[in-house]
Amino acid sequence: MKNNNIMRTKIKLLVLCFFCFLFKGIGQNTNLDSLLDVQMKAKNQNTTQHTEATFKTSRLIDGHTVETTQAGVLDLKVSHRFGQLNDGFYNMFGFDVASMRIGVDYGITNRFTIGGGRSTFEKQYDGFLKYRLLWQSEGKKNVPVSVTLLSSVMLETDTLALKTEKKISVSPSFANKLSYAYQVLIARKFNSNFSLQLAPTLIHENIVDSSFNPNDIFALGFGARLKLTQRSGINIEYYYQIPGTKLPGTYNTFSIGYEIETGGHVFQLHFTNSTGMTERTFIAENKGRWNKGDIHFGFNISRVFTIKKPKDLKM
Amino acid sequence: MIAVLGFKEQPSKLYQTTSGKISFKSDAPLEVIRASSNDLNGLLDLNKNNFSFKIDIHSFQGFNSPLQKEHFNENYMESDKYPTASFSGKIIEDVDLSVDGTYNVRAKGTLIIHNVPQERIIQSDVTVKKNIITIHSNFTVLLSDHNIPIPQVVNQKLANEIKVEMTATLEPR
Repeated sequence: MKNNNIMRTKIKLLVLCFFCFLFKGIGQNTNLDSLLDVQMKAKNQNTTQHTEATFKTSRLIDGHTVETTQAGVLDLKVSHRFGQLNDGFYNMFGFDVASMRIGVDYGITNRFTIGGGRSTFEKQYDGFLKYRLLWQSEGKKNVPVSVTLLSSVMLETDTLALKTEKKISVSPSFANKLSYAYQVLIARKFNSNFSLQLAPTLIHENIVDSSFNPNDIFALGFGARLKLTQRSGINIEYYYQIPGTKLPGTYNTFSIGYEIETGGHVFQLHFTNSTGMTERTFIAENKGRWNKGDIHFGFNISRVFTIKKPKDLKM
Repeated sequence: MIAVLGFKEQPSKLYQTTSGKISFKSDAPLEVIRASSNDLNGLLDLNKNNFSFKIDIHSFQGFNSPLQKEHFNENYMESDKYPTASFSGKIIEDVDLSVDGTYNVRAKGTLIIHNVPQERIIQSDVTVKKNIITIHSNFTVLLSDHNIPIPQVVNQKLANEIKVEMTATLEPR
């Protein structure tokens, strides 16, 4: 009995020693680890880490996001809007009607993108320049938001539609077919799942249908992305036209969609009350209303091609 | 008095690097992906032969396209949530790395990638010359070991077994 007790005490001591040794061992590396952390923290504060992927692609639904296409990358975009859900059974709830835009974005540098496209809606051509002025970052340079400037020009070549829309009898001159859009896109990625964007916008139309209507239309855009899984998310976009600068009979565009990404493709599926996909048509001239059922189902497909491989690829 | 002396630490012989190189390669049937970083940080304590290495995942450059790099950070490594990978532990062999020479050692420790720790023993070649310690090592990392799933659509383009090469030159701290 006594022997047994001594034995137990010995074992207890041994266990205690073992734990002491163990903790000492761990303690040593903890010191090294924390020393390394301090070193890395100091290093991180001396470098700037740019925020990536505030949005998945350069368009949220209809409108641009702060994202610019990376240098040497060509982004082919095919956007499609079906007709309105209230078109009824005869038009298969919009299935028989289509509005399309095919365009490309190309990254000259990581901050500067040029692009253009053709829309079936009102036979439009559009071209744009996009420049990322500020890039959200942490570290040495702490920038809370990304700011991108966008300037686009739109040419409406559907003369018949133009004549009725602007109430003019003669064929419009080239200049009168032009409209311009200027946007300051301001966005912040709050965390890896949530990004928010504000977009003060000015649309200038060279010709409007009466002298009482403004040539300059001001609007404020709101956009948000909520990531659901690693590769999919929900997008919301709303453009609010500032009262007083608004064209009569037009409504604010609200769109909601789901996006999914596979490799080099981004698929966006959405519902929107806008037929057009250029700034002039979806911000200033949208005649569709959600509460009347003027809702279009649509999708955007984005496919990127690396034209020029970046230099840092060499190993 | 004797007790106090006994507990007194030996003068530390800490060696460090802030610009070690790590490169990796995924060799899948349809695509080869390479990337590297010169941003490896490391500390080696010659008194205890223990070490700690850590790298910022965002520092990896290369890949086949900028989008691929974005996917690497956003979808696979989740670098915003888990910004670093680390390997910390002890050299198994009882070697004195303060003496010039070439040593083949086994480093035993915890490899943390994507916030998943794995106990690993990694073979390394260590060269000591004039107070400079150069470490070179090749090892593999299985994505499945670190909870990084490969989506069905890219399983011909991304290998589960990633070959990793590490080179670091450590100097007295």
